[in-house]
Amino acid sequence: MKSKTWNEKFMQGVFFTAACTSVLAVALICIFLFANGIPAMKEIGFIKFITGQRWKPGNDIYGILPMIVGSLYVTAGAVIVGVPIGILTSVFMAMYCPKKIYKPLKAAIELLAGIPSVVYGFFGLVVLVPRVRELGRALKMIGLARSSGNGNSILTASLLLGIMILPTIVGVTESAIRAVPAQYYEGALALGATHERSIFKVIIPAAKSGVVAGVVLGIGRAIGETMAVIMVAGNQARMPAGIMKGVRTLTANIVIEMGYAADLHREALIATGVVLFVFILLINFSVALIKRRGEREQ
Amino acid sequence: MRMKKFIAILSAVGMLAAGITGCGGSDASDVSDTSGDTQSEWDSSNDITIVSREEGSGTRGAFIELFGIEEEQDGEKVDMTTEEAQITNSTSVMMTTVAQDEYAIGYVSLGSLGDTVKAVKIDGAQATAENVKSGTYKVSRPFNIATKEDLDNEVAKDFMNFILSEEGQAVITDNNYIALEDVKPFEGTSPSGKAVVGGSSSVSPVMEKLIEAYKGVNANAEIELQTTDSTTGMTSTIDGSYDIGMASRELKNTELSAGLKPTVIATDGIAVIVNKSSTVDELSSDQVKSIYTGDALTWDEVVE
Repeated sequence: MKSKTWNEKFMQGVFFTAACTSVLAVALICIFLFANGIPAMKEIGFIKFITGQRWKPGNDIYGILPMIVGSLYVTAGAVIVGVPIGILTSVFMAMYCPKKIYKPLKAAIELLAGIPSVVYGFFGLVVLVPRVRELGRALKMIGLARSSGNGNSILTASLLLGIMILPTIVGVTESAIRAVPAQYYEGALALGATHERSIFKVIIPAAKSGVVAGVVLGIGRAIGETMAVIMVAGNQARMPAGIMKGVRTLTANIVIEMGYAADLHREALIATGVVLFVFILLINFSVALIKRRGEREQ
Repeated sequence: MRMKKFIAILSAVGMLAAGITGCGGSDASDVSDTSGDTQSEWDSSNDITIVSREEGSGTRGAFIELFGIEEEQDGEKVDMTTEEAQITNSTSVMMTTVAQDEYAIGYVSLGSLGDTVKAVKIDGAQATAENVKSGTYKVSRPFNIATKEDLDNEVAKDFMNFILSEEGQAVITDNNYIALEDVKPFEGTSPSGKAVVGGSSSVSPVMEKLIEAYKGVNANAEIELQTTDSTTGMTSTIDGSYDIGMASRELKNTELSAGLKPTVIATDGIAVIVNKSSTVDELSSDQVKSIYTGDALTWDEVVE
């Protein structure tokens, strides 16, 4: 009897240590980021760092506004591409899908989530970039655009990221739709609404908080994506100049220059990481807020 | 019922829109077909796609210095590369981009030049190792290795002697890099032990060949190669995890004051590359400069 309680206590300790590991990891990352990033921000000047429009590490000019705006543009583009497709897909999967199609469809979406981002990037570089380049040249030829761009653009990055965030949005949205009690749907039908009307007027509003959480998680994935974006976005460190022109995101800025950076340049890149981290914190915070509000409503 | 009608109308509109964009798509492909015809003639009125390496890259540093894209302003050197230039941090993305885009221009290390792209002559000189050596092709940079001043690893010392010997420099020449002059035959002491070499991914391919050749003369030693980047190579050498660091750029003052001693082991040419279907075969350094500083936006502003 006595040994059993000892065993249980011991195992409890093991589980507790396991649980601590992830918390410890987050805490260490926070400490590392802020300890290395904040001094650089101070040295450059916080306002100058955040609102500076020029990034010339060779001359100690560090302004990351182009990258902040770039990240926001690309993410917004991904939302425009990915959210309608994602939500409609999950409505189809939860409410319309015949059993025969469901399994392969679900498997395909799960596979989409498992493809490494560098593979997405290569797909974008070889397939999307030439298409967008042709589109740009065609637009220039018929006089709709002044400059054709070269295919590595906000548009390409948005299309690619739109595909990449689909699994996140579909997964969360579908389970949110399924979590709506069956009585809602049946009640709507009993009141004389059609299948479509019950879905779009009753079920989706009821699953609203889950849908929004899915979209916000998708945004988180889009803003943090690095490898795929580097390969298709062109990475020019200047204010975005148009949808057919290239852009550099916060993540790309860090990865591209880390290899050769030294001294203040390196610290400025870590400070870029701090800004990115704050963005991600805000996104996670809003997901938690949405979830809590959703729970209160139910 | 109204909902159903609404959806029917919506889908009809959707189909119509799809039809129109479908037509639009075929229009676009028609246009690109005609531009495909002119591609064989290579229409020089198109925008130049400028591809550059990232800030701080050894290749970029050498490129802007040699073409005068770097300008002195108020006693400070300013990189004048146009902000419209597409930036990549890898040689393979650079090659793929230039190989795919008929109107692109970029630059890579002479040693990694492949046949998917075309190297242009600069001021009349072909980009070859011989021309770099004779000085007619002027776009080149040093490959450095660095050690701590008080290096006490016998294997590392012996390996460095090998690199700087006749045998080691022969390996460098075989790999299309430019060897040092006035080298003596190798007199190894064949020490046994282990050494770690690491750093720049530009230097790493030739270092791999050097290690292979060194194993032929000294089977006792074990040399480990880690491919990272110039900065990691230098910092890891300072903190002692590498015995020899590799850098494809000059060492920074902070690195020198931390006790690193650089040694030039070879010279690398930088080839300016364009798409294979491009009619441009030769550029002057002023033309390259005007492209990279953003003065020339389309090809017909540079060549006739």
